[in-house]
Amino acid sequence: MASGSGLTAEVASALGPRARLSGGTLFLLIILLLAIVGIGIQAAADATLFAQITLNGLSLAGLYFIVASGFTLIFGLMRVVNMAHGSFYMLGGIIAYLVQERMLNPDPTSFDLPQATLTSFLIPLIVSMFSIALLGVLIQQVFLRWNQGQELRQALITIALSIIIADQAVARFGGIAKEISVPVRKSIQLPIVGMYGTTRLVLLLVAIVVGVALVLIISRTRFGMIVRAGVDDRQMVTALGVNIQKVFVGAFFLGALLAGLAGVLGGAVNSVNKSDDGKFLLISLVIVIVGGMGSLTGAAVGAVLLGLIDSYSDVYLPDAITNYGVLLTFFLLVFVLAVRPYGLFGRPG
Amino acid sequence: MISARLHWLIGIGIVIVAAVLPFVFSNFTTSQILTRALILGLAAASLIFLASLGGWVSLAQLGLYGVAGFTVGNLVQADGGAKVFAMDIWLASLLALVVTVLVGLLIGVIASRSEGIYFLMITLAFGVIIKLLFEKATDLSGFGGINQIIQPAVLGSAQLDPERIYWVCLAICVLVYLGIRYFAHTPFGLAFQGIRDNTPRMRALGYNVTLIRTVAFGIAAFIAGLAGVLNVWWNTQISPGTIDIGPVIFLLMIAIIGGLYRIEGAWVGALIYVILDNRLRSVDLVGERVATALGIVFLLIVLLSPGGVMGIYKSLASRWRRSRSESGAARDGDGTAAPTVAGD
Amino acid sequence: MNIRNKRWGWLSATLLIIIIGIVAAACGGSDSSSADTAAADTAAADTAAVETAAAAPEKKIVMGFLSNCEGPFGPFWDATLAGYYTALVQFAGATPVDPADPKAGVTGAMVPGTEIPIEINTDYGCSDDKADKALSEAKRLVEQEGVNILIGPLSGDEGIAVANYAKTQPDVTFLNGISGAQDTTLKVQAPNFFRFFTDGAQWTAGLGAYAYNVLGWRTAVTIGDDYSFPYTQTAGFVSEFCSLGGKVTDRIWPALGETDYSSYIAKLPNDVDGFFLDVGGTGTVQFVNQYTEVNGNDSLQGKVMGGAFISNPAIIKELGSKVEGVVAGSALPSDATDANWTTYVDAITAAFPDQAGNAANIFLAGYYNNTQAAILGLGAVGGNIDDAAAFQSAIAGVEISTGVGPVTVDGNRNAVGANYVVQVSDKGATTLFTVPDVDQSFGGAFSADTPNPDRDNPKCVAGNPPPWAASITK
Repeated sequence: MASGSGLTAEVASALGPRARLSGGTLFLLIILLLAIVGIGIQAAADATLFAQITLNGLSLAGLYFIVASGFTLIFGLMRVVNMAHGSFYMLGGIIAYLVQERMLNPDPTSFDLPQATLTSFLIPLIVSMFSIALLGVLIQQVFLRWNQGQELRQALITIALSIIIADQAVARFGGIAKEISVPVRKSIQLPIVGMYGTTRLVLLLVAIVVGVALVLIISRTRFGMIVRAGVDDRQMVTALGVNIQKVFVGAFFLGALLAGLAGVLGGAVNSVNKSDDGKFLLISLVIVIVGGMGSLTGAAVGAVLLGLIDSYSDVYLPDAITNYGVLLTFFLLVFVLAVRPYGLFGRPG
Repeated sequence: MISARLHWLIGIGIVIVAAVLPFVFSNFTTSQILTRALILGLAAASLIFLASLGGWVSLAQLGLYGVAGFTVGNLVQADGGAKVFAMDIWLASLLALVVTVLVGLLIGVIASRSEGIYFLMITLAFGVIIKLLFEKATDLSGFGGINQIIQPAVLGSAQLDPERIYWVCLAICVLVYLGIRYFAHTPFGLAFQGIRDNTPRMRALGYNVTLIRTVAFGIAAFIAGLAGVLNVWWNTQISPGTIDIGPVIFLLMIAIIGGLYRIEGAWVGALIYVILDNRLRSVDLVGERVATALGIVFLLIVLLSPGGVMGIYKSLASRWRRSRSESGAARDGDGTAAPTVAGD
Repeated sequence: MNIRNKRWGWLSATLLIIIIGIVAAACGGSDSSSADTAAADTAAADTAAVETAAAAPEKKIVMGFLSNCEGPFGPFWDATLAGYYTALVQFAGATPVDPADPKAGVTGAMVPGTEIPIEINTDYGCSDDKADKALSEAKRLVEQEGVNILIGPLSGDEGIAVANYAKTQPDVTFLNGISGAQDTTLKVQAPNFFRFFTDGAQWTAGLGAYAYNVLGWRTAVTIGDDYSFPYTQTAGFVSEFCSLGGKVTDRIWPALGETDYSSYIAKLPNDVDGFFLDVGGTGTVQFVNQYTEVNGNDSLQGKVMGGAFISNPAIIKELGSKVEGVVAGSALPSDATDANWTTYVDAITAAFPDQAGNAANIFLAGYYNNTQAAILGLGAVGGNIDDAAAFQSAIAGVEISTGVGPVTVDGNRNAVGANYVVQVSDKGATTLFTVPDVDQSFGGAFSADTPNPDRDNPKCVAGNPPPWAASITK
């Protein structure tokens, strides 16, 4: 059995991924190169389309990264696979929508949609993020704290919670997708790309800011230091007199906060939808499996891969097989796990 | 200790009682409760097979079950699906098992390099991808699922002769159960369990760990495939919803209710689940929120008794034995070591 | 996760007792309900008893309900129940138990013109948009609860599965809820399955003619989610548009469950006259937001037409002025003021005042129509359903009165009724054209022998426009 020491995945690898160039990695690189050449040929035919869908893929990747980074953070430090992470994402959007609706108080007879101001966008965002973060802490304290180390049981508990949350969302939240109103929704002229929507650009920007902030937190703060140490050797950190439980609470707070943030952003860019929980759980899983569990760099790389695959396969696959596009995700998983069983940036336990 | 002979007698008694149940119950109960429980139990058995002998919890089993079902649906005459083969149902079912085992081996060779919780995540991802494939590839899953899949002629009409498919399912379940029990004592099965308990040592002893695990995963895929084939024989239809993430979780729930480390628990769990699913909505408090109620039952079980109902049975039995022989010398349990999946 | 952890022993025992308690309570709950239910249980429990029941004067009438309380359509549960019970209140003289809550049911439903009670089974069938869940719920209602008239299900795949099941239960009469797949009646052809609400293709009747004759489109591209319902709706548009001479140059099918349509939008060609948009309920909001963000807020008018998704009042409310001016097909006119419509709305208001706002919701209307047909059929045979075939042929002959006027069924037991071409405005959806007597075949374009609507079917063929096409002009 895997021993407790030497955790497979670690947040700290964000600082210095040491990608060893083995035969397997080489194989992966060749596949990647072939894909790039294939797309390149298509891109030459229509540069604007290519630029647009690349940007689509990258902004989608931004959303994926925010969700997956929270998932990987919790996993890296605590070895808790939070199967309710997708539910956190979904609830994040729902809470923000409900708060915003209360604030804007739209006239039900009015045809024009209520327009959010900066305040009536940011307040729901903040309320929602912190509600989800507190929910995360609550779940950690009530359900997960006392069975630390029983990974499977913790995963099962979060699965059970996600079933309950999903069913209650169906019962309580309306039938169709809702949109979170944003202060500005228009398109701007970009070089090569042409007209492009602002919300997606903002999403991409937020994802980059989140990524940088996480790296800084992990590398520069005392919290981050303990997280890094805790990832490597939890017993030792405890023995040194650090209250690891507090750090766990912090990690769960931050991880859930990120899921909530992503839920709000996703609700603003796409829509708030009560069936998003399963989708975003799967996305988080695939990203951290591909990127390496616990690795922030891995989450970023995994998110970009998945985002680009999503948007390229929508456009560049021949019509007859677009429906099999999901197989690309399957093969991505197979290839990565075949050559690097612990993901691109993961470390074996 | 209950002697081995008594165990056999009890087992045979249970099977005999199970075999005459269709004469006692209505067609509906036979078909929708008993047969359904047998088929879901068989699918859960493939999960428990890996969990009890390999220490792995796989969430890809329902996906493999779907692969088998959709393969049958595409190969035979049916409404939806590929429609080009119109093959004999027996041949199609056999081919479906082959395809399922091949897919299982592919997933197995990848997933078998991982442990515990990673394995859970990887298999969940594969399970969901299989579902997405069938959901999106409508060439394979038809317009509204594959309906009116033909049944083997000996089964008669599902409506009029529900007991026939029930007996077939019962026989296959018994065979699979005995097969798994037998497998556990073969050299191969022992090696598989050895890997569960101490991988490095087995590797040092010269066992090809990846190969053994992959083959074991293939066996589990075969069991899941059997369940999938029986499911389309019984239900005569399959749709992507059959293997959606909800059912995946409920299959896991069946395994957990039954006790993740006891093969017979699969059918106990399935029966409890099917009865709950059928009856909960009649409880006023529950109404249409059956999923919430099932989630709460699931939560209570994992919170209170990770061993599930079979674990409760065992702990009661061992308590009773201890109170009888105050010495406490008797080791509790019957030797099926419950592996700790946790890292420490 | 060690099962041998001893301190869980007593907790485990408690849990076991709780589970046994729940199961027992559940079983007990149904046994001890009413004597009638118990009798029905017994009857259902023993098939032999059902056979011999013919000796009794008349078979008891047990009506069951199958809809979605989970899954994507779960939130429409109350609306479907309201439609079901409104019909029972209006046509079977029942009284709502709680006008604020359709779930509470009704009492005193009787076959019109007689004193014969209609027993309403309240162990509702609850599916989750998945065919096999709907099927197992239908079996539970029919075989366990003893339902012999079943109203439901809600969605397309479920409808096909239940119609197939209907063939194995000739003594039970099935009436669709609101599932819209064309195949359910056109291909499956179960003699005891009826649909008194038009199918998904019929809901786009008139759109092709509007695009060709009024907007002057000659080329179009369709975009729809890749599953049966959008295939069906798109089939209606393509068949009509092409029959007049239009060309569908491409059909784009984003995979089901897509939430990011931006790349598909980037791919849309610029050199066609317009688009027929049919991405699903959730997708509509996402697609329109992403489309307007790139192309501007009023970019849809004249360029995009939609199916039932866009004409849905809830979607219009969600998208507001972004979809202003968009023309769409609709099975219901939300702005009607004629006698049919007011009678219908008044009936809902009388039974369930809170649900009046859902009058233009097809989920409510579908269950209303079909339940009404069942009641009128019962009235026609004087409440005697011993001869199921006679009862079913009576249903095939009834003409129901709905918000859109009278509706009857054709030889495939599928509704023939009005459809609407509507335009989204600040008043909701304004009716541009009423398309009368729309039948399932679109003037012969669809039949049991034509291929199922799918990614490439129906083919774009000129000629034989449906009868209503000529009446839709500038």
